[in-house]
Amino acid sequence: MNTIVGYSKKVLEHFRNPHNFGSIDNPTSLGQVGNPACGDVMKLYLKIDKNKQNQDFISDIKFETMGCAAAIATSSAVTDLAKGKTLEEAIALDNKDVVKALEYLPSIKIHCSLLAIDALNEAIYNYYQQTKHPISKSLQKKHNRITICQTLLNH
Amino acid sequence: MNLSTKSRYGIRALTNILDQDCCCSVKTIAHKEHISVTYLEKIFAKLKKAGILKVERGANGGYALNRDPSQITLKEVINALEKPEFICPDFCDCQSKSIWHQIQSRFNQVLSSLTLDNLKTDNNKLVYFDYAASTPVDPQVLSFMLPYFDFSFSGNTSSLHQFGLKAAQAVEDSRAIFAQILNSSPDEIVFTSSATESNNTVLKGVAWTNKDKGKHIIISSIEHDCVRQSANWLKTMGFEITEIPVNKEGLIDFKFLESNIRPDTILVSIIHGNNEIGTIQDIAKIGKLCHSRGVYFHTDASQSFTKLPLDVQKMNIDFLTASSHKIYGPKGVGLLYIKSGSKITPLLHGGGHELGFRSSTVNPPLIVGFAKAAQIAIDQMKQENTRLSQVRDYLIKNILKTIPNTHLNGSIKSRLSNNVNISFAKIEGESLQLSLDLYGIACSTGSACSSHSLEPSHVLLALGLRAEQAHSSIRFSLGRFTKKSDIDYLLKILPGEVSKLRKLSPFK
Repeated sequence: MNTIVGYSKKVLEHFRNPHNFGSIDNPTSLGQVGNPACGDVMKLYLKIDKNKQNQDFISDIKFETMGCAAAIATSSAVTDLAKGKTLEEAIALDNKDVVKALEYLPSIKIHCSLLAIDALNEAIYNYYQQTKHPISKSLQKKHNRITICQTLLNH
Repeated sequence: MNLSTKSRYGIRALTNILDQDCCCSVKTIAHKEHISVTYLEKIFAKLKKAGILKVERGANGGYALNRDPSQITLKEVINALEKPEFICPDFCDCQSKSIWHQIQSRFNQVLSSLTLDNLKTDNNKLVYFDYAASTPVDPQVLSFMLPYFDFSFSGNTSSLHQFGLKAAQAVEDSRAIFAQILNSSPDEIVFTSSATESNNTVLKGVAWTNKDKGKHIIISSIEHDCVRQSANWLKTMGFEITEIPVNKEGLIDFKFLESNIRPDTILVSIIHGNNEIGTIQDIAKIGKLCHSRGVYFHTDASQSFTKLPLDVQKMNIDFLTASSHKIYGPKGVGLLYIKSGSKITPLLHGGGHELGFRSSTVNPPLIVGFAKAAQIAIDQMKQENTRLSQVRDYLIKNILKTIPNTHLNGSIKSRLSNNVNISFAKIEGESLQLSLDLYGIACSTGSACSSHSLEPSHVLLALGLRAEQAHSSIRFSLGRFTKKSDIDYLLKILPGEVSKLRKLSPFK
C-alpha cells in the first residue's frame, strides 16, 4: 500500500480498519453531531454499566460516521480512548488526546477531533439527562455550545 | 511443463487470503474460485503442514498466512503441493540430461526469488484519473524541449545577438503554431505563466481600461476560481458582477445572459469546457451575442483547448485562455489570445515583452514545449476524442449500473470526452478519494473539500445539488495514457470501497 502525504500512518490505519464501528442494539445512550451539509456526521452508541466500585462505565462503544478520512479516524480513535473508562474519566478526554492517539492531524482536519469529542460528550450528556444525574457546569456549557452549532448549521 | 491443478488452485486461493489481508474461510474462497470445498481443504492442510498457513479460531476465524508474505517463496508453496521436475530420471543417460538439470536449477532459482508479495494483485499499480488537474509531459514534448536548454538558445529573446535571436525565433515559431490552431494572427498570441495569469489579466486588465465605459462584468456561476476570485476582487474595487445561472446539466441560461447585458457591461467571461463537470458551452452562440451587443467576450478554454475545435474569428472571441500542463506540455506556461485592437492593460509592466502585454523574460523551452504539445494534441484530436468518449461512457455506464445510489453530474451530450463526475450518496468524497489512492488510483473530489477549503464545490451547488450531494462527488478525468484496463481496475476496486464507506455511515 502506498502512503499518503498529509495523513499520519495512524490515521490511515484507523481509516482502513476502523475500530468499534457499527451500531449497538438498545444502546444505553446515543450522541450525534455534525451535519451532512458540512460533509461530516458522527453517531456514537454507548453501553453503560456499573463497575465493581458501582461507578458508571462505558462497557461498549460503537460509531457510525459519514465524513472524510480524518472524521472516520477520529471516531475510531475516540471509541478506543473511551472504551472501559468511567463516565467521569471519559468526560475528561479532550481533542488533544484524540490527536495524540493519531500521532498527527493536518490543521485543516483538527475540527474532526473536536467533533469526535463532542459526540462523546453528547452521548454522556444524554445519559445523564435520562438518568436525572446532576450535570456539571462544564458539561452543560459544552452541550450548549454543541447545540448552538447544530442549530446554526441546520439553518 | 504445466503446474498441477493442485498448485494452480493453491496459488489462486492464496491470492484471496493476500487480498483480504485477514482470515478467510475455506468455503468463501472455494466458492469464489469455483473449487470444491473438500479439494481446497486438502490443499490448505498441506500448506498448513508446510508452515505457510495457520488456522485462526473464533467467529471471524479461518485460514491466515503464518508468516509475512514477503517471507514465503513460491518455491515453498509449490513444493508443498507438488514436485515439478524437469530432470531425467537417475537411470537415464541421454545427451540432453545436463540441459534439463540446468533448467531445473534455474527454475528453482526463479521460484525462490518470487515471494507471495509478488502475487499481491495489482501491487504497486498506479492509475491516473486526474488529467483535468494536470497531465504528464508527453515524452516527445520533453525531448523536443531539451535542446532549448542548450547554450546556443540561452540568450535573452530581447537581445540582438545570435543567442538572443535564435531563442526569439523559436518563440516566434511557436507563436505561429498557436495562431494557426486558433485562426488568429501570431501577434495576437501572448505567452503567460499560467491560465490563472491569463484569466487574471483579462478580468483586471479589461476592467481597468474600460471602466469609463462601464463597471459591469458578467461571468457564469461555474467559472474556475481564478475567474471567480478575480471578479470578487473587482467587486471590492467598485465593479458590479452578475453571475449567469446554469441548468442542472451545467449549461448557462442564455436568455438570462441576453437580458443582463447592459450599456455599461464591459466584459462577458464564460468557461468553455468546465473543469469539474466537463460541460461544454456553446461559445459560438455566446460570442455572436456579445459581438452584436458590443461587449468583449472572454472564454477560459483551459480544459477544452486541443480537445474541441476553436476558431476565434468564427466564434467571435476577443480573449481566450489556454494552458500547457493540461495538454501534456510543461507546467508554468499558458497563453492569452488578445484580439488585435482590444483595450486591455497588462498586469506586469517592465521591459515590454510579449508585445507589451506581459513583461518578463521569455522562457523559450517552456514555450516550444507548449507548442509541440499543442501540435501533437491537435493532430490526434479527432481520434482521441472518439476513443476517450467510448472509454468515458464505458466507465459512466458501469459505475451507474454496478453501484446503487450513484448519480452522474453534468451533461450527457455536451460533455468533454475525458470527464466523469459522479455523486456517491451517503459518503464523503474525500474518504473515497483516499481509499482509492491507497490502491494507487488517483482521482479528485468533486468538491474542493480535500485540502484547501471545506466548502462544497460552487460548480456542483450551481447545478442545484444539495451541499451533501456536492460533498459526495468524485471526478475521474481521463487522458492520453488511460487504457480500458485501467478502467477495469477502477471498476474492480470501486464498488467494494463505496460499500465499505457506506457501512460506516450512519445514513443507511
